[in-house]
Amino acid sequence: MSIYEPYRGIKRVLFYVWLILVAVWVLFPFFWAVENSLKTTEQTFTRGAFLPWIQYQPTLGSWQTVISDPAAIRALVNSVVISIATTLIVLVLGTPAAYALARHEFRPMTGRDIAVWFLTQRVLPPAVVLVPYFVLMVHLRLIDTQIGLILVYVAVTLPFGVVIMRDVFRDIPVELEEAAFIDGANDLRVFGRVSLPLAVNGLVATAIIVFAFNWNEAILASTLTSRVAQTLPFFILSSRSTRGVDFNTAAVNSLIAIVPPVVLSLVIQRFLARGLTFGAVKG
Amino acid sequence: MRRSRAVKYAFLVPAVLWILVVSLFPLASAIYYSLVQYALGQGVTAFVAFQNYLDNFHNPTFWHAAWITAVYVAVTVAVEMAFGVALAWSLTKRVWGRQFFRVLFTAPLFTMGVALGYLGVTLFDADSGPVNFFLGFIGLHPPWIASAFWGLAAAIILDIWRWTPFVFLVALAALESVPGEFYEAAALDTRGEWPVFVGIALPTIAPVLTIAFLLRLMEAFKVFGLPFALTSGGPGTSTQVYSAMVYLTTLQFFDFGHGSAMGIFFLAVVLLIVLRLFRVMRAQIE
Repeated sequence: MSIYEPYRGIKRVLFYVWLILVAVWVLFPFFWAVENSLKTTEQTFTRGAFLPWIQYQPTLGSWQTVISDPAAIRALVNSVVISIATTLIVLVLGTPAAYALARHEFRPMTGRDIAVWFLTQRVLPPAVVLVPYFVLMVHLRLIDTQIGLILVYVAVTLPFGVVIMRDVFRDIPVELEEAAFIDGANDLRVFGRVSLPLAVNGLVATAIIVFAFNWNEAILASTLTSRVAQTLPFFILSSRSTRGVDFNTAAVNSLIAIVPPVVLSLVIQRFLARGLTFGAVKG
Repeated sequence: MRRSRAVKYAFLVPAVLWILVVSLFPLASAIYYSLVQYALGQGVTAFVAFQNYLDNFHNPTFWHAAWITAVYVAVTVAVEMAFGVALAWSLTKRVWGRQFFRVLFTAPLFTMGVALGYLGVTLFDADSGPVNFFLGFIGLHPPWIASAFWGLAAAIILDIWRWTPFVFLVALAALESVPGEFYEAAALDTRGEWPVFVGIALPTIAPVLTIAFLLRLMEAFKVFGLPFALTSGGPGTSTQVYSAMVYLTTLQFFDFGHGSAMGIFFLAVVLLIVLRLFRVMRAQIE
C-alpha cells in the first residue's frame, strides 16, 4: 500500500490527539494493574492516589505476599503445565491432520468441508457441556486433576488449531514436495523433512494462539478443578470469596496472568490477523 | 506423485477421534441429562421429558440472564466493529510512530478476562476508582458495579477494551491489501476521505469484516470470566450472563437436569443465529 500524508494544520493536530487518546485508553488498565500491585490494601481504595512516591509510597509487599503464597504458586504452575501440555498435544495431533486436509481429498467430502466442520466446533459454548464434563470427570476420577483439564482443553482448541495449520501448509508450494517424491521419498519423509521445516514459523505462531486460549480459559477450569489442579483464572476468581478484597495481591496475580500471553502475542504480530481469521486474511 | 491413502487417514483420524469422543459424546449426554431429574449424590431419579426446559422458561432469572447476554453481545460486538475499523483506517495513513501504535493497539488482545474483570473492580470503584475521579471533573458520579445498569456498562466497556484489537488487526490487514491507488484517490478527493472510505475501502474489506464479525459473535456469546469477575453477577443476579447462570446452577446448586436444559437451549439459539451466517463464511475459507 502507499501511505499518504493525512491532514494539514489543525486537522493534523486533532488526528494525533485522537491517536494519543486511544493510546492512553489502551495503556491505562496495564498502568493501573502495575500501580495496584505496588500499593497496600488500604491504598488501593484511596481516592486520587495515582503518582508513586508523591501520592503514595510504592511497596513490593504484595509481590512478596503472592510469591510466598503456596496456593498462588500452585495455580501458576498448574496454568503453565496445563497450557503447555495442551498446546503440545494439539500440535502432535493437529499438525498431521492439518497436513492431510491441506494436501488430500476425502471424497465425497473436500478438505475444506472437513475444515469447516472443525471450525463449527468453535460455535459450541462451553456452558453447554459443563454438566457432562463434570459428571464424566467425576466418574473417571479425573475431577480436579491436570489430566482431566488437559483432556478437555485439547478437544476445545484442537479444531481451530487444525484450521489455522491447514492454512499454513497450503502456503507451502506443492512443487517442493513433488520434487522429494520424485527423489523416492515416502509420505512420512516428505512430511517430516520437507513440509514440517517449511511450516515451522506458522506452527509456532499457532502454538502461541492455542496456548493463549488455554491460559485464559475460565469456565471449564472453574468447573473441572477445585483446589489441586486449580489454574490462574479460577484462582483469581475464587480469591474474592475466600479472602474478601485484597486488590493489591489480586493485581499481582492479574499481572502474572496477563503478561505471558500478551508478550507472546507481540512476538507473532505479523501472523495474528491471519491466524485468528483462520487464513481468511493474509496479514 | 505417490501419496499413500493409509497415511492420509492415519494423519487425520486421531484428531477427529479426539474431538468426537471428548466433544460430541458430552454433547449427546447433555441432551439426555436435560430430559431427566438429576442432582449430585442422588443420580438420575426420573425421566421428566421437557419439564426442565419448561421450568427454566417459567423462571424470571433465566430470561433475565438471556436478556443481559443479548444486550452484552449486541453492544460489545457493534462497538468493537466500529471502533476497530475506525482505528485501522487511522493507521492506513502516514502516521508518525505508526508501527508503535499498531503494536500498542493490539496489546489487550490476549489479556485474561477474569484478571481484567477483577482489575475493573478498582478501576470502576465508585468512590476511589480512577474512572470516577476523572468523571468527577465533569460532574458525573455513576455508581458502576453497585447498580445493575452501570455494572453491565462497566463490563461492556472492559470487553470493548479487550476485543477491539481483534477487529482492528483484521481490518488493518484487509485495508493494507487494498491497492494503494485507492488511498491516493482519497488524498486527492476534495470532498474529503469519507466518500473514499464508504465507497471504496469498506466494500473492498467487507468479506473480511464479515468473518471478523462472525468470529467475534461466536466468542461473545460464550462470555463468562470478565463480567463474572467484575460483578459476581450482582447486585443480586441483575448482571448475570447466561454462562454464569449455567455455571452456578451446575456447580453451586448441583442441579444437573436444569443446568443441562439451559445449556442445550443456549446451543440451539446460538446455532440458529450463527449457522445462518456461517454459509457466508464458508465461501471465504479456501
